[in-house]
Amino acid sequence: MSQTTVAPDRVEENATEDAVEPDKPWLVIVWNDPINLMTYVTWVFQKLFGYSLAKATKLMLEVHHQGRSVVSSGPREKAELDCFRLHAHGLWATITKGD
Amino acid sequence: MPPIERTDEGLRLQLDGQEAGILRELSKEMRLLLTADIPAQDDVMQRLFPRAHEDDDEEEIYRELVGNELANVKNEALRMVEGELGAEGDVDVTLSDEEAETWLRFLNDLRLAIGTRIEVDESKMERPFDPEDPEGPALSVLHWLGWLQGSMLEMTRR
Repeated sequence: MSQTTVAPDRVEENATEDAVEPDKPWLVIVWNDPINLMTYVTWVFQKLFGYSLAKATKLMLEVHHQGRSVVSSGPREKAELDCFRLHAHGLWATITKGD
Repeated sequence: MPPIERTDEGLRLQLDGQEAGILRELSKEMRLLLTADIPAQDDVMQRLFPRAHEDDDEEEIYRELVGNELANVKNEALRMVEGELGAEGDVDVTLSDEEAETWLRFLNDLRLAIGTRIEVDESKMERPFDPEDPEGPALSVLHWLGWLQGSMLEMTRR
């Protein structure tokens, strides 16, 4: 499945910051764009994160109406992988350190 | 009739020669995008290969980590779809779930490339077709690809 084929090779561990502030997760944010179909965005959230249709739809509607939504969070490595997988599916995603 | 149906073997996709021809042309354009030396600042390239971090230093670290993997993923999808479209004529293929997912990603990349190039926003997406509109043909293709992608999604969703 694409879950494995789209995974980037981990060539470098960047654990320093996580070690300093282990409690602050990184947030994966998806931004609204006028091109992607709402049904496609919902499907991607279900497929990548295993979310229910209801949860995936709620997140998609947040993106659509509020311009952005936090769709996953976790350690930096996980956030970067999630972001990459979203990019591989054509969603506009960024990551940021949580407050 | 929708060109897509679910069969015991998978998702069957039927396209006539004209529809397949559009996809063949767009595939060639996608191949150019992925292989030609297009500046990273180009709007379409930025949309197909978006930044992960706002911060420049963080982004550089991320890009080193990811390397060419995003381009590889897009190239693999392109090669697969090109193979199924063949060189000419109608298309009648039955896709496994994994292949259907690859098609969905590929169709999405085509839509992103076209939509970004003509700078669509939500009002442009809702503009009725006007034969005088210089962006009419691109918008029509965009809507047709959306219809195809949406039809495939309906059949893919469990």
